[in-house]
Amino acid sequence: MKRKGLGFYLKIYGKILAQDLKSKMSYRADFIISTIGMIFTNIAGFVSFWILFRNFPSINGWNYYEILFLYGFSLVSLTPVQCFLDNNWSLRMYVYSGDFIKYCFRPINLFFYYQSEVFDIKGLGQLAFGIGTLIYSWIKLGLGFTPLILLKTIVFLITASLIMMALQNAAAATCFWIQNSFYLLDLTLKFKDYAKYPITIFSPVFRFIFTFIMPIAFIAYYPSLVILRPDEVPLLSWLSPLFGCAFFWFSYKLWMFGAMKYSGTGS
Amino acid sequence: MPPIITIQNVTKEFKVLNRREGLKGSLKDLFSRDYKIVRAVDNISMNIEQGEIVGYLGPNGAGKSTTIKMMTGVLEPTSGEILVGGNIPYKNRTKNAQEIGVVFGQRSQLWWALPLIESFKLLKDIYQIADREYENMLEMYRSLADIEPLLHKPVRQMSLGQRTLSDILAAFLHNPKIVFLDEPTIGLDVSMKSKIRELIHALNKEKNTTVILTTHDMGDVDALCRRIVIIDKGKMLYDNDIEHLKGFFGSYRTLKIRVEGILTERAEEVKAQLPDFSVSADEEWISVLVDEERATVMEVLNQLRSSFDIRDMQLEEISTEDVIKKIYEEGVE
Repeated sequence: MKRKGLGFYLKIYGKILAQDLKSKMSYRADFIISTIGMIFTNIAGFVSFWILFRNFPSINGWNYYEILFLYGFSLVSLTPVQCFLDNNWSLRMYVYSGDFIKYCFRPINLFFYYQSEVFDIKGLGQLAFGIGTLIYSWIKLGLGFTPLILLKTIVFLITASLIMMALQNAAAATCFWIQNSFYLLDLTLKFKDYAKYPITIFSPVFRFIFTFIMPIAFIAYYPSLVILRPDEVPLLSWLSPLFGCAFFWFSYKLWMFGAMKYSGTGS
Repeated sequence: MPPIITIQNVTKEFKVLNRREGLKGSLKDLFSRDYKIVRAVDNISMNIEQGEIVGYLGPNGAGKSTTIKMMTGVLEPTSGEILVGGNIPYKNRTKNAQEIGVVFGQRSQLWWALPLIESFKLLKDIYQIADREYENMLEMYRSLADIEPLLHKPVRQMSLGQRTLSDILAAFLHNPKIVFLDEPTIGLDVSMKSKIRELIHALNKEKNTTVILTTHDMGDVDALCRRIVIIDKGKMLYDNDIEHLKGFFGSYRTLKIRVEGILTERAEEVKAQLPDFSVSADEEWISVLVDEERATVMEVLNQLRSSFDIRDMQLEEISTEDVIKKIYEEGVE
C-alpha cells in the first residue's frame, strides 16, 4: 500500500467534487433555484448593511468603507467553512441514527472522508460577493496594491477561515458526547454574524467572550486591523495566524477523538 | 496457513447508566453515576480460515454486531485478543480497512447521488486498486450478474435489492481477504434473495474470500454456510458444521397428523398420550416433534393409531430454522 499524502487526498477530493457538481447540475431546476436563492441572500445581507450606514455614517470611529471591508473580509473567510465543512451540519443526525458507522470502514482519513461527501456550492457565490466587496472598499480606502499588503491579506484570510472552521468543527464534534449539539452549532452560526463588526462596539464582557471564548473577533476584526490600521495593531492580531492553526488542529483532534470513540447504535 | 481471523477469549463490556423511571427518575439520573456493567460479548474464541463462509447467528441483542464491530476495529475489546489478517483491528483501523469489506443490509456505503460506476472509480482510487485488477474485477462482475443497467444509475434511484447488490459488489471490489455481511438479504423479495446468495457464493468461490455472514434468514444459512457459529447473551452456544447441527439434539423429525374434530382441542389428547414429546397444532395439522432416540416415528404413529382415527399424515425433516429456534429458546444442554 502506497503512502497516502496530500496529493492522494487532493486527487480524491477533486474527483468527488467533479462528480458531485455533475450530479447537482443534472437537477437543473434545483440548481437554478438555489443559485438565485444564494444571490438574494447575499443581496439582502448587503442591503441591511447599507440601511444601517445611511443612518449612522460611522460606527465607533470606523467609517463606511472600513466596515464594508470588514464585511467583505468576513464573507471571504467564511467561504471555506461553508464549502468544505457543510456536512458537519448533518453529523448529529448520522451519529444519532447510527448511520455514521458507514464512514468508519474506509482506509482513509475519517474526517476527510466524511467532509468530502458534501461540497456546498453556495459558498462560491458568497466568495464572489466577498471578493467584490473587498476590492471595492479596498479601492475606496486607497490601500494600494503592494505585494506585502496582498500577502498579509491572504495570510490573514486563511487565518480567519481556519478559526471559523475550527469553531464549527468543535461545535459539531460535541454531538459525539451530547445529543442536542444542534444548539451549539446554531450558536456558532448566529454569533458569526457579529464577526463583521468591529469588536470595539461591544461591551467589555462581549469583547472578552468574542476574543477568548467564542473567538469570532478573529474572523474579521483582528486580521483586518493589520491591513486597515497598520499603526495600531494589537499583539493579538499578529498572533492570530498561530492561534488559528492551533485552534483548527485542536478542533480536528477533538472531532477525530469523538469519531474514533464512536461505536454506533444497535442494529 | 494460519487462520485469517483469530479470536481468543474476547470479552466486551459496556458501562450503562441505570435509568430510573418517570420524570423524577430522569432528573435523578442527571446527577447519579449509578452504572452497571453489561457484558455484551462474554469470553468468545474462534478461528476462521481463509475462504470459509461462516454464518454468525443469534437472536436480536445477542452480541453479533458487537463482535463484528470488534473485528472491523470500531470497538476495542475489554479483554482478549483479536487478529484479523495479522492486524489488531482497533489499533490499525486504517490498515485493517484495506483488507476487509463491510456491508450493512440497510445502510448503503455508496455515494448516494453518484451512478454506481462512478462510485466504483472512487473506490478504485481510495483503495488504490491497480488498473488491471480493477478491469478484471469488473469483467468478473459482468459474468456473475447483470450489472450493466446498474452501472449508470444513481444509487438513490435504485431499489433496495439493486442497492444491496451494488453494496456487495463494492465491498468485494478491492479484493479484500474478508467480507462482513450484516443481514444482506433483509427486506428483499424471494428472487432477489436468491440472486444475492448466488452472487455471494460465486464471489467466495472465485476469490477465496472469507465471508462472515450475520442473518436471521435461515435460507441464507442453508444456501451459503457450511459452518455456523451461534451466540446468545454474549456467550458462544455453538460452533460447528451445519450438518452436525441437525444431529445436535438427537435426531428429530416432525410427524404431522390430521384427525376428526377441532385440531387444537384434540391436540390436548395427543399431548396426554405422548407426555415426552412436544406437541403443537394449527388449523391443518397436529405436529409431534419426535426424538428418534426415544422412540421411532413408526412407534409413535402406531401408538396414536390405536386411539385416534388418523385421516392423513406427513413426515418432515427438522429444518435448520427449527434447530436454531430450539437453541435460541432452550440453549445447549
